[in-house]
Amino acid sequence: MSNNFQLERETSSLSSFPDTKSLFSKLKSCLLPYAFLSPTLVVVTLFFFIPLIMVFILSFTNLDMTNFGILKWWQPANWTLDNYVKIFTNRFFPKILNNTLIYVSMTLVFFNVGMALVIALITTNINRRIGFASRLIWLMCRLTPVVVYIMMWKALAGPSPMGVINKHILGPLGIGAGEYLLNTHPWLFVILVNGFIGASFGMIIFSSAIEAIPKDYMIAAKVDGASTWQTIRYVTIPMIKWPLLFVTTYQTLSLLTSFEQIMLLTDGGPGLYKTEVWSLTAYHRAFTSYFGNTQWGYGSAWAVILVIIGVIMAILYLRVFRFGELMQEPKIDQL
Amino acid sequence: MKASKSLLSIILIVFLVMSFTVIALAQDLEIIPIKVRTVSTPPMENWRGLNFVVAEQDLNADLEAMGDPRRVKVEVIQNKMDWGPYITEFVLAYGADEAPDIWLTGHDYIGTQSDAGRIIPLGGMIEEFPIFNLVLDNLWVCTMYKGKIWGVPQDAEARPLYWNKLLLKQVGWSNEEIAALPGKIEKGEFTLYDMLETAKQAVDKGVVKPGNGFWTRPSNGPDFTAFYYAFGGETIDSATGKLVLDKTARLKYYQFFYDAVQKYGSMGCLGLDWSEAWHPGVTGKVLFWVGGTWQWAEWAELYLKDLGGEDYMWENFGFGLIPAAEKGGKPNSITHPLAYTVTSQCKHPDLAIALIAKVTNYGPNTRHAIASAHLGVLKGQSEYKFYKGSRLLTETLYMLNYTAFLPNNPYWGTYSPITYEALAAVVSGDFTPEEAMDFVVEGLQRELGDKVIIK
Repeated sequence: MSNNFQLERETSSLSSFPDTKSLFSKLKSCLLPYAFLSPTLVVVTLFFFIPLIMVFILSFTNLDMTNFGILKWWQPANWTLDNYVKIFTNRFFPKILNNTLIYVSMTLVFFNVGMALVIALITTNINRRIGFASRLIWLMCRLTPVVVYIMMWKALAGPSPMGVINKHILGPLGIGAGEYLLNTHPWLFVILVNGFIGASFGMIIFSSAIEAIPKDYMIAAKVDGASTWQTIRYVTIPMIKWPLLFVTTYQTLSLLTSFEQIMLLTDGGPGLYKTEVWSLTAYHRAFTSYFGNTQWGYGSAWAVILVIIGVIMAILYLRVFRFGELMQEPKIDQL
Repeated sequence: MKASKSLLSIILIVFLVMSFTVIALAQDLEIIPIKVRTVSTPPMENWRGLNFVVAEQDLNADLEAMGDPRRVKVEVIQNKMDWGPYITEFVLAYGADEAPDIWLTGHDYIGTQSDAGRIIPLGGMIEEFPIFNLVLDNLWVCTMYKGKIWGVPQDAEARPLYWNKLLLKQVGWSNEEIAALPGKIEKGEFTLYDMLETAKQAVDKGVVKPGNGFWTRPSNGPDFTAFYYAFGGETIDSATGKLVLDKTARLKYYQFFYDAVQKYGSMGCLGLDWSEAWHPGVTGKVLFWVGGTWQWAEWAELYLKDLGGEDYMWENFGFGLIPAAEKGGKPNSITHPLAYTVTSQCKHPDLAIALIAKVTNYGPNTRHAIASAHLGVLKGQSEYKFYKGSRLLTETLYMLNYTAFLPNNPYWGTYSPITYEALAAVVSGDFTPEEAMDFVVEGLQRELGDKVIIK
């Protein structure tokens, strides 16, 4: 009896030990991913979600310089839709929206994706060292501090006799009257200035994606007699669909919210709202006013609409590029 | 040996006792830090803040004489800033309990800050310093809001119409005609449209490029209100204190700028950087332009130093009031007086106002006026020996008889950008004068409701 009891105890203790271990390891395996994610979660919560909620609430208030510290903006009694009504009834609303569409689409198509793809294709199909050096040169725009970069562009666009383009290119060719080119062609410069920076991002992503395509495909295409264009069209582009989706989505959202280069270059001018984009308007309303009456609530409303537009654009891209299909396991791994 | 040791011990003890006594006495003195925040363009306007550093010793001597254990230690923070960020900085600093003790502001911001409780009324304290009786009476009006005085005027200026004499000669004007122009403007014989007509002649003759006949500042600011006043406009209702939009005057104002662009080859200036706006003006590419007296010093220092600075300017530039809109009308000039205020976070307002009293005197104020080409704010200052040394201040002194002010109303910051946006749209060709008028009426009604009187 006693032996049996002893055996039972041992069996019991042996069986309970693995159970405890399993629970711990289960808990560990369950929590470990969250532990790894926690720094990101904390940062995103602190610097994105909480400010987003605050901006969202502020957009319903009339918080400005006159009532800062007085208005209890967090109380629902002070919330109205007035700011949104003001935006949609603003006479310059269509112009600013149109400017934003021009800025984002032109920069995206011609530079951030278009030029980036062209540079990536060229630099991956030439001598490896020369290709690397070329990509490094394109990175210079991104590496240069933005204020210095804009000052360089202003010097380039300056009126004659100081402006580099006027003095050394247009002047000798007899083109133009030496005007300040930022006044005569502001959009061209806004797109060039942003595009030269933006192209480098896509260039790196596309280059690495193209380099990662197995050489067998290229060799097979050549053996089959495909021309360079056919190789790009039917082999390279389909193989880099995922980077294309990523760069297009990321750069669209990035362009929608970027305004610092435009602010330093033209500040939305010349004249009235000529190059004023949505994010710059939000900044102007919330943070600048000659007479000091900055309207934080109104500026927040402009920013909230921008966030909504960004989310809609992201969803559209995911649908158009069939994100679900792209995320399937690669067939080569399933074999 | 033993005696010398005792002597040394006694000396040491006496020294220690004396040291502790001095330390104890010193500890009775209370050092009061006074933070002064001003906006100023270096080096011309440095005295706006530095006068307080000079005044510190003077005030401490006064405090010592009257047995007050407090001593002030002045900390000046000043740099060149636009008004918008400067005001934002103050409001946010106040929200963080870090507001300065003395804060310089444009008189037109007083309404907003007093309503928010960020600055204190100075009424009772001012009476304790008779020196303040020297301040020009009309400048006190600028710092009054809701029947109380909230600031001490620091400086004022005229914002004249400047012209380039060389270009006028190229248009065909004689030296006598050019010399007589300020007088003709003062008498109302040379109107705003006469100016545009001259600008057009300059463009037609190729003296200046199209767009360069007449320029204003490149962005919103007080200067534009002078033109609205010229057409008979008013900005504030004296009975209710509410802002006013005079539709008739405002329409004439927009028509003037519309004509300036469309018919008279002017106003190619909006949206430029400041340097891009001033540089062509002062280097002979623009015929007429509007600027401030304080910019006289700035232009001489920044753009024309190599050509001879002020000497070059006296030879080639002329200036007068903003012309009247109609023959025989009254010209004007906007002044935008700045004022020292005491914030409600200042723990020793009596010391702050005592410091302000020290810098509100002929010496310090004239020092600033001459260096920065601002007008003095004190009675009889034009007779002060050193003030008379400045030719510009002497020659622009008569403009004080024609000065007009911006309204001291907390909603001016909302009103002004709406009227300016419409102006920029008229200049860029986006609006006709009538459309601009509709835009302004609609905007003011939407933003300010019954806080503005539209008539």
